Amino acid sequence: MSVLSAPRFVGQRIRRVEDPRFLTGRGRYVADHEPVGTLHVAFLRSPHAHARITRLDPGPAERAAGVVAVLTGQELEAAQIRYAGFAGQPIAPLAVDEVLYVGHPIAAVVAHSRRQAEDAVELIAVDYEPLPAVVDPLAALAEGAPLANSRAASNVCFHLEHQPAEIDQLFQEADLIVRETFRTHRQTAVPMEPRGILATWEPVAGMLTVIGSSQWAHGLRDGLAAALHLSQSKVRVVVPDVGGGFGVKYGIYPEDVAVAYLATRLGRAVKWVSDRIEAMISDFHARDGIHMAEAAFRKDGTYLAIRDRMVSPAGAFMLDGSAAVLETVIGSLVLPGPYKVQAVGFTIDGVLTNTTPLGTYRGVWGPAATWVQEGLLERAAEKLGLDRVQMRLQNMVRKEDFPYHSPTGVVYDPGSYQESLKLAAERIGYADFAREKAEAARQGRLIGLGIAAFIEPTSLGAWQPEPPTVPYESAVVRMEPSGEVLVQVSVNSHGQGHETTIAQLVADVLGVDFSAVAVRFGDTAAAPFGGGTFGSRSITVGGGAALEAATKLREKVLAIASHLLEAAVEDLEIGDGAVAVKGVPARRVTLGEIGRVAYWIPGKMPPGMEMGLEASSRYVPPPMTFSNGCHAVVVEVDPDTGRVKVLRYVVVEDCGTMVNPNIVEGQIVGGVAQGVGAVFLEEMGYSDDGQPWATTLMDYHLPLASDVPTVECLHLETPSSTPGGMKGMGESAMVAAPAALIGAVEDALSPYGVRFQRLPLTPERVWQAIQAASQPK
Amino acid sequence: MNGEAERTVAFTVNGSPWRGTVEVRQSLADVLREAVGLTGTHLGCEHGVCGACTVLVDGRPVRSCLMLAVQADGAQILTVEGLAPGPDQLHPLQEAFWNHHALQCGFCTPGMLMTAWALLQEHPQPTRAEIQTWLSGNICRCTGYQNIVEAVEEAAVRMAGEGGRA
Ligand code: FES
Ligand code: FES
Repeated sequence: MSVLSAPRFVGQRIRRVEDPRFLTGRGRYVADHEPVGTLHVAFLRSPHAHARITRLDPGPAERAAGVVAVLTGQELEAAQIRYAGFAGQPIAPLAVDEVLYVGHPIAAVVAHSRRQAEDAVELIAVDYEPLPAVVDPLAALAEGAPLANSRAASNVCFHLEHQPAEIDQLFQEADLIVRETFRTHRQTAVPMEPRGILATWEPVAGMLTVIGSSQWAHGLRDGLAAALHLSQSKVRVVVPDVGGGFGVKYGIYPEDVAVAYLATRLGRAVKWVSDRIEAMISDFHARDGIHMAEAAFRKDGTYLAIRDRMVSPAGAFMLDGSAAVLETVIGSLVLPGPYKVQAVGFTIDGVLTNTTPLGTYRGVWGPAATWVQEGLLERAAEKLGLDRVQMRLQNMVRKEDFPYHSPTGVVYDPGSYQESLKLAAERIGYADFAREKAEAARQGRLIGLGIAAFIEPTSLGAWQPEPPTVPYESAVVRMEPSGEVLVQVSVNSHGQGHETTIAQLVADVLGVDFSAVAVRFGDTAAAPFGGGTFGSRSITVGGGAALEAATKLREKVLAIASHLLEAAVEDLEIGDGAVAVKGVPARRVTLGEIGRVAYWIPGKMPPGMEMGLEASSRYVPPPMTFSNGCHAVVVEVDPDTGRVKVLRYVVVEDCGTMVNPNIVEGQIVGGVAQGVGAVFLEEMGYSDDGQPWATTLMDYHLPLASDVPTVECLHLETPSSTPGGMKGMGESAMVAAPAALIGAVEDALSPYGVRFQRLPLTPERVWQAIQAASQPK
Repeated sequence: MNGEAERTVAFTVNGSPWRGTVEVRQSLADVLREAVGLTGTHLGCEHGVCGACTVLVDGRPVRSCLMLAVQADGAQILTVEGLAPGPDQLHPLQEAFWNHHALQCGFCTPGMLMTAWALLQEHPQPTRAEIQTWLSGNICRCTGYQNIVEAVEEAAVRMAGEGGRA
């Protein structure tokens, strides 16, 4: 039940409070911090996908100008410095005797300037004995395949399987079985600010302070404390402004551990800021999954069951938060998407490969699973001769089905599945599109319409009995003696605008002006523990905690006011920075007066009440809160070049209560742009021997202003049961856009009967698909 | 190392003279950030693609990661810190970016603003297509550009109303 009645700020398109500093060049990112005497680090990285190191001689580098130290894997191993990967498995920050991917860090040079450190890296003498590189995950699964890591018993690093008893029966009874292999390509998130870390060490006291570009301050603190054998109370992580994350700055990296260790060893401020080339090979990669899927249908279009065999190339290590686990396991929970089925079966294999480790990138499971979900349905509609919108509507979870218990075990809270599909179809002009397409065809143009209805499982709480992610978020709300409000939250912002949206929530609960609320986060010395920012949950869970804490604080404020005004709490109202007796506006006390009493005058406080005005909350949300919506898009394909142009794009989004529609739409439009990048432009490819193809932004094509469509955003609001009624939505556009765009291209190419199994849809791939399809039917 | 390693350069940044000794191999971006102390100019790629480091050198947009500091000797340089007409004031472009939610993480923003400034110098009333083309040398990973393009449109209108002040 929403605690927000008659909100003044929630729902408003308020300009962000963080913007002036960014607009005037006063944002402060990690690279902008430089204490006097800071030393700089550059890493030596493996040029081989897989090799044994037969000799490593740091001597020439140690003697180079400006160099203070060279750190090797041997030294870290001797000091037992490791960080925790998946299921706590230890990972060595620097390779010791075997390199496992191009970019694998081997040594770190510390010098007085970054330039000197980079120069000296070139002087480290290393000899390699190349080993067979494992790149293709299916080949890696084959009998007798070479091992990606000579210490591993097998290339299979993760396996999970669930085939419900009834699923074979459903497939036997089906009138139609659609089978397809969907293969996403490798991408990486590419936040515009590269990763970076600055570590300082106070000797004797033994205190490590780290400024890091991270989505999760407490996670970095605890990860570093464990790796360096320090107590958590002796490590402080401060996350300053962060220039984008998109999942890739969640968790701990080898460079974090190496740089922090160097600070402790040298007793100096030590800093590393990634350059873009090393970012492309050392930031987590993402996607790159194989889905061998099949779905069973009845003649009338009824969707019966889905089975998916997923293979994910985890890269050289299984990270904590490996996409080999998250892409597939979360995908398996929501494979049917907004549609009802009777059974879901899956088999998952995570496979070690000699490529950069897979981690999280916006949407994680979503772009692939939604493509599988919508791709199978489109193929079925075509085979059964049914209308694709009707067939979707027919199978969708309806209003009366909520809360809907999916056969996968998850529960969908209320949403607007059919409504959002209908609205998107209407707005994009679906009813008239056959005519439009025929008209275009007469002019020799190929146009197509794509649809992706989506659900997004957001705001994770205790989604497993012992969840691998922090199942709550925290907030401390403090009213200062002046009556102004300071909020500390456990979620971080790297562009989401928490300083604005969380202030909107708290201002409404406490009846103060929006400008009287300051929101802070990112410093483990001040912010309460929590899970940081991931999985589209900051506003629901972090905002939920802020709402709960503010509500508790309001109760205390009202109790003090009741005492001061000698009136019952029920007769009081809070607003405009004061508490007044309802209907008697003259009998009022300002929040500043309440603050003065609460902090300075025990004798005027209600008997027995603690001094001060502060409340905290740890809000545990439901296991999952589902936002939903629908993307609809019309594209034109140039058959001579294979180029695709987006003609119009509609998004219907239902994320429950919208705190600030500007920010919601910013997330949608930004997500659609990333979807355009995913489908048409970006590819982190590898050669067969494990050499990455795209190590600069010249090779890895991010969407530009001239590549992206104008997106029309429409909103439906089905509130959730969380304190403010919000649902997460930061990833939803990335969940839906790829499937919608791929569907649109396939529809445009329907005269050729083209269906795609691989991404990205580069002009070359589209053109070749057209050529391969014999003749227009 | 061949030849001289360091040289003294002098230029004007945001109206103030600056003089100092730099390594001849140092980029203008590094000198602005490290020696001049203006960290609003950001480095997103250091290989000339992302545009985050864009500053104006003698009125022209330049990728300061690709220009050597010694090449800027004697130049007039404008960075994002010098865009606003005065303390506690914003340039119409900054105001329009704020109004249109044209930034999220803010990392690309300084480069976007400087490129947009140069665009509006050359085309005070740009078409949407011109804005998209001009901004295509600046990468934003967050916004999807739509709001940035709208902000530049609004700024153009405002600045025309203010007599073309830039
Ligand atoms: S940092 Fe100069 S263009 Fe990217
Ligand atoms: S606002 Fe983040 S890169 Fe543009």
